Amino acid sequence: MNNFAEIVFIEQYKKVTYYSIAINGKNALYDSFVDKHSIENKEKLYHIMAWIKKIGDKSGALDQYFRNEAETADARALPPRGKEKPPTFVEIDENGKYGTVANNLRLYCMKANEHVVFLFNGDIKTAEKAQDCPNVKPHFRLANKLAKLLTQSFASGDIRWKDNFSEIEVDEDFLLEWN
Amino acid sequence: MKKTKHSISGWLKENYNAEIESYIDKNFAITEKVRIAMSKKNWKSSDLAKAMDKSPSEVSKWLSGMHNLTLKSLVKMEQALGICLIHTEPIKEYEYVYLGIVKNSEESNTGSTEYKQSLAGEFEIAM
Repeated sequence: MNNFAEIVFIEQYKKVTYYSIAINGKNALYDSFVDKHSIENKEKLYHIMAWIKKIGDKSGALDQYFRNEAETADARALPPRGKEKPPTFVEIDENGKYGTVANNLRLYCMKANEHVVFLFNGDIKTAEKAQDCPNVKPHFRLANKLAKLLTQSFASGDIRWKDNFSEIEVDEDFLLEWN
Repeated sequence: MKKTKHSISGWLKENYNAEIESYIDKNFAITEKVRIAMSKKNWKSSDLAKAMDKSPSEVSKWLSGMHNLTLKSLVKMEQALGICLIHTEPIKEYEYVYLGIVKNSEESNTGSTEYKQSLAGEFEIAM
């Protein structure tokens, strides 16, 4: 079965414009991520959302502010490295200790340049490697798949840069397609 | 192009969390200050690591903006880069206050006198 996906606009800040992807006519991946984790992991999600806004407003999408998740393409994730050290975000762990649980929520994404970022989906990571975690493995693989397709579409000119590389444009009927 | 259901700013506003906002603000401000200082010196994170006798991977964690920096690591970076990352206000022992006189017009002086008289009157009744 062929899959198809369209690019969806999320929000534009001074330094970064954020987009997402909607697959087979379903919700945008970013919307599914927010819907799920607004209920299950609100503080961890807040931490990531505040970080996305901060990058967008202040610095642009610099490499150091993303986690490298490349397998077959240039996929990234948020939050960046360093999140293991408490209390990057604060909650009480199962032993009742305050502020000792790290933010293990992952949002997979692709940085097209310092001004354009695609946000996909993600979940709670429970293993050292994304490939070994049943929660994030599908999101990690999909992020790499989409990053590859998006890179190819930039190269072919199906996705075009706009406004000094700070936005993108596509034809109205443009779709990413794969098997 | 279609738009997503959730905006980033809208979601943050609806679910406002002052503690996380403040943490992100401060951590980001420090990281950016270090990044700019390094760029002025034309340093990579490996140069900073060398100057602090730390491993490059540890320093890149510090510079991610998500690391819970200790005071010791902040001071190490200050020393290596020759900048100040934390400004602490000095404790005040004395505060000098300038006292002056504002000359009022005759009208406002009369008003002021009347006010005092009325207060004095109320006080007498209470007694």
